[in-house]
Amino acid sequence: MPRLTLHYYALLREQAGRSSETVETGARTPAALYAELAVRHRFRLSAAQLQVAVNGSFSGFDRTLEDGDEVVFIPPVAGG
Amino acid sequence: MRAFRFSQGAIDAAALAAAFARPDAGGFASFEGRVRNHHEGRAVTALDYEAFEALAVVEGERILAEALRRHGALEARCVHRVGRLAVGEIAVWVGVCAPHRAEAFAACRAIIDAVKHRLPIWKKEHYADGDSGWVNCEHAPAAQGRSFDYSRQLALPEVGVDGQARLAAARVLVVGAGGLGCAVLASLAGAGVGEIAIMDHDRVAASNLHRQPLYGAADIGRPKAEAAAERLRAYNPDVVVRTFVGCFDGSTADERVASADVVVDCTDNFAAKFCVNDAAMRAGVPAVLASVYQYEGQLQVVRADRGGSCLRCHWPEATRDGLVGNCEQAGVLGPVPAVLGQLQAMEVLKLLLDLPGQLGNEVLLVDLLALGQRRLAAPRDARCAGGCIRIADAAPAIAPEMLDLEMPLEAAAAAGYRIVDIREPMECAFEPLPVSGQQSLPLARLLEGALAVEPQQRYLLVCAHGVRSHAAAEFLRARGHPNVWSLQGGLAAQAR
Repeated sequence: MPRLTLHYYALLREQAGRSSETVETGARTPAALYAELAVRHRFRLSAAQLQVAVNGSFSGFDRTLEDGDEVVFIPPVAGG
Repeated sequence: MRAFRFSQGAIDAAALAAAFARPDAGGFASFEGRVRNHHEGRAVTALDYEAFEALAVVEGERILAEALRRHGALEARCVHRVGRLAVGEIAVWVGVCAPHRAEAFAACRAIIDAVKHRLPIWKKEHYADGDSGWVNCEHAPAAQGRSFDYSRQLALPEVGVDGQARLAAARVLVVGAGGLGCAVLASLAGAGVGEIAIMDHDRVAASNLHRQPLYGAADIGRPKAEAAAERLRAYNPDVVVRTFVGCFDGSTADERVASADVVVDCTDNFAAKFCVNDAAMRAGVPAVLASVYQYEGQLQVVRADRGGSCLRCHWPEATRDGLVGNCEQAGVLGPVPAVLGQLQAMEVLKLLLDLPGQLGNEVLLVDLLALGQRRLAAPRDARCAGGCIRIADAAPAIAPEMLDLEMPLEAAAAAGYRIVDIREPMECAFEPLPVSGQQSLPLARLLEGALAVEPQQRYLLVCAHGVRSHAAAEFLRARGHPNVWSLQGGLAAQAR
C-alpha cells in the first residue's frame, strides 16, 4: 500500500493531537484520504472547508496520490 | 534652464509657475518652504543656507526624474536658495505639472521630501538672542540627537539613499491594528515609510494588551487607530500617519486601497480578509495578508499588480467566519501575531525596495511550536485570465436581518420552523435544546450536504452563540435554499 507523509495545521493539528504522521493507506485521492482520517481523528471540519497541498503545491482533492507523497491538510485561519 | 538649480537671489514663485504652461497638463501643484521665525522654542531672525552645489544639483536632477517616472507627472522644477534669508522668504520652491491633480500632488510631495532627505544642504539659524547654530535641513533635531537615523539600513547596499527615498515616498494602508497590525505598524514606521494609513473599527480592550504592545493600560477604551497613530507619531515624527476609525467594507474599501502603494491585511475575520483581497484585486494594488491560529500562521502576498493568485484561488466559499476559531475562542500567544506581523512588514519592505526572495503565488505556513515553515506553491486559477472570476461572481452579502431570527425556540417550533441543532454532539449533551423534535446535525456534516432540504419547509439553525448558525444559513442560502434562517444570539440569547 502507498506510504504517505501527512502534515496537519491549526484545528486539524489540535484534533489529530500531532503535527505529522506517516500512514499506509489504500486511499487513492486526498478526498478519500481525508474521509479515512476524519473518522480516525474525529476531524470536525469537512473537506469543503480545507485546502490540500501535495508535494509542496496546492492541489485538488481528486488528484491521484503516489507512494512517498507528502500531503498537507490546511484549514483556513483568520486570527489577527 | 536646469530643472534643479540653486539661487542666490529671492525666488520669484509666480514667474516659475508661469513657465509651466502646457496644454496637456490638467494639474499643477507647487510647494514653498519658507523661513519660519521659531525653531524648537527659540525665536529665529534669519537663516544662512549653504550647499555642496555640484553634488546637490546632480542628486536634485535625479530626484526630479524619479518623481516624474514614479508618479506619471509631466514636468518638475525645483529651486533652492543659498545665502542669507530673512523670515518669510522662500527657501525652496517645487513645481510639478501632470495630466491630473493626483499625480501633480504626489510628485510634488515626493520631491520636497526627497530634497529634504537626500541633498547636502545645511542651514545656520540666527536666533533673536544673538546666538546662532548650524543645523542640517531635514535632520535639524538630529544635532540634538532627537531625530530618526536610518544609517543602519542605509548601509545595506540594496537600500542606500535611493531605497530610503523610495520608502519615504511610499504610502501603505494597514487594515486592522491588532496583534498583526501592531507589529506591521511599528516596523514600517521604523523603516521610514512616508505615509501610513491605519484602518480599524475597534477600541483597545484589556485582553488585547498582551499581544498588542503599541497600547498601554491607559489606552483601554480608546479607538485603536487613534492610539496607534499617536504612538507612531511620537516614535517617528518623519512618518505621516492617517487614521480611519471604522469598518473596512465595500463602501470605502476600493477608494482607500486605490490610493495606497501596498495594502496590509491584519484583520481577524474572513469577511474583512476577502474584502481586502477583493479591493486589492480590483485596484491592482499588491496586498500582504496574514492570519494566525494559536501557535501558527499563514502568510500570502497577492500580486494584484502582476496578475498573481489571490485568496479566492485557494479558499473555497465555505471559508466563513464561525467555521473555525479566532483568537477569542482559540487563544493565542503574543509572539505569534508579532512574528507573522514582522514577516508581513518584511514582505512590504521587499516589495517597496524591490528586494529578492519575495513571496508570490505562494502561501507560507509557519509553525512556531515546531519552528517549521513550509512554502507552498499556490498558482493562479487558470480560469482567472481576465481577472478573478470568483470576485466577479461573488454573491452580494445578505443583510444580517434577512438571515437572523430573534425569537424563543418554542415559538419558532410552534410556528412550523424545523429546528436544526448544528452543534457538536458533546455540546448538545452538555446543554440540550429547550425544545423537542429538533434535528441534530453537526456543522461539518451540514457543509457536506447532509441536510436534505425540503423546498416548502422553513428551517431554523441553532448553535451556541449564533455565529456558526449564521455562517451555515448563509452557506445554504447560497446553494439556493431561501427558507433557511439562523437563531440570533444562539442558545446563549435564549437563556437570557
